[in-house]
Amino acid sequence: MTARPATLASRAHPFTPLVLTLCIAITALAAAGPLEAGVLYAVTVALAVISGVGRAALRALVPLAPLWFFLFLLHGVMGESPRIDVAGLALSEAGISLALAQAARLGAIATASLALSASFSPARFIDAAAERRWSFAASYLVVATLLALPRFRARAAAILDAQRSRGLRLRGGPLHRLRAIRPVTFPLLLGALAEVDERGFALETRCAAGVTARTPLAPPVDRPADRVVRWLAIGGAVCAMAWRVAG
Amino acid sequence: MSALLMEGVTFTYPGAGAPALRDCSFSAANGEVTWLTGALGAGTSTALLVAAGLAPRHTGGERSGQVRALGTDPAEGAAGLGGRVALVLSSPGAQLSGIAETVAQEVAFAPANLGWPATRIHAAVSHALDRMGVAHLAPRGPATLSGGELQRVVIASMLVLEPDLWLLDEPTSALDTTGRSLLHALLRSEAARGAAVVIASEDADGLHPAADRVLVFRQGRPVVEGAPDEVLRGDAIWAAGAGSTTVAALGRASGVASPRPLTVSEGVRRWAR
Repeated sequence: MTARPATLASRAHPFTPLVLTLCIAITALAAAGPLEAGVLYAVTVALAVISGVGRAALRALVPLAPLWFFLFLLHGVMGESPRIDVAGLALSEAGISLALAQAARLGAIATASLALSASFSPARFIDAAAERRWSFAASYLVVATLLALPRFRARAAAILDAQRSRGLRLRGGPLHRLRAIRPVTFPLLLGALAEVDERGFALETRCAAGVTARTPLAPPVDRPADRVVRWLAIGGAVCAMAWRVAG
Repeated sequence: MSALLMEGVTFTYPGAGAPALRDCSFSAANGEVTWLTGALGAGTSTALLVAAGLAPRHTGGERSGQVRALGTDPAEGAAGLGGRVALVLSSPGAQLSGIAETVAQEVAFAPANLGWPATRIHAAVSHALDRMGVAHLAPRGPATLSGGELQRVVIASMLVLEPDLWLLDEPTSALDTTGRSLLHALLRSEAARGAAVVIASEDADGLHPAADRVLVFRQGRPVVEGAPDEVLRGDAIWAAGAGSTTVAALGRASGVASPRPLTVSEGVRRWAR
């Protein structure tokens, strides 16, 4: 873990980006059509840029691109009639609408999640939770969940380096690459399981079992702006759900 | 007074065919540095896990016999007995909290869990980092440290608690000569403070001047016990499958009869005759 650059997202109270992300996910699921979902995606990208974690929107495109392509094939090309002509292709009208809505929903959720991950400080979150008298187990669970992906990625990179140093070649044809999956995937999964065990062991030695009242070392300030943003996000998510249920 | 007492302890890991500890009995007194050594698989690391209560509570397995750490059975109480027992593992990376972004936060992790006041934590963290010679690393991220730096930080993260019982498993595995000397001096000063120090290590060269007593383990129990200065010179430690200092090993290989010299200066005196 290295020090992150100070951004609006990293200066915010740790609960604010978390609540925003959850609310964006709920609103995305409630968004009925491509227009609503598209607006939400645009707002999410704008929020990420304003918060100083705009790169998350670009990084999200890596997993999103193949998903979007798959949605286009599944709904746009293979969807039901009636069909419309788009750049010489006869595409399903309803399918394209559905694909756009789902693509925008996924875009909003992926961007918000990666933006949260980019700005998340586990120590600040634990301090904020301790200040609110959360149980240590609950706050650690949130932290472990949010750190799971970056840790998994770091472990994958380390295993890849180790296997390369032992002669694993990743270049070549598809069959060659397919063969390389096993020596990377197996240690990755086994390592992840071992880490869970190791971490529990480590926490026991560090007096983390049965914590009753953890001391917040540097409790983050919960500014009025943070509270306003959180309540607006919660209100927006509730309205979106109500709109969906009513509509 | 014994800070740690084991009487007739047998412990078997889950799925293991044979017990790792067999009818193991020993004690560690306050104010003393007790050194456990032995061949690979002799049971010294397991003895520490049992003493800390992590075996069988965390590892699983079956334990019989009596264990008392600071007067209570560690398998029944909370881990670390509220910070009074410090366990240092041989792989420092495996003992990190996983949430600290700086070394200072890492060292503060356990005291914060115990609910110490923040002012006390900050003072204790600075003191512990200073004693381990890593005060300059306070703002660094734990993931950016070298193995030796990390080992010092993990020891500091236990030192901060001022424990009454130290359990250290190969704590010098990643340390350089300076780090080893620093640790040995620290262990002596902790014993002088009144803490009981139990250390499992094969570092005979470094530990023989620092330990008050050595227990040589074989097949899950101590088979030789005595002052390091006597035990390391003799043949019994070799018969138990453990090793002595580099100079003693050289003497043994050269056919020098016991009592053998332990240090270079002793060897020079002996062989110069």
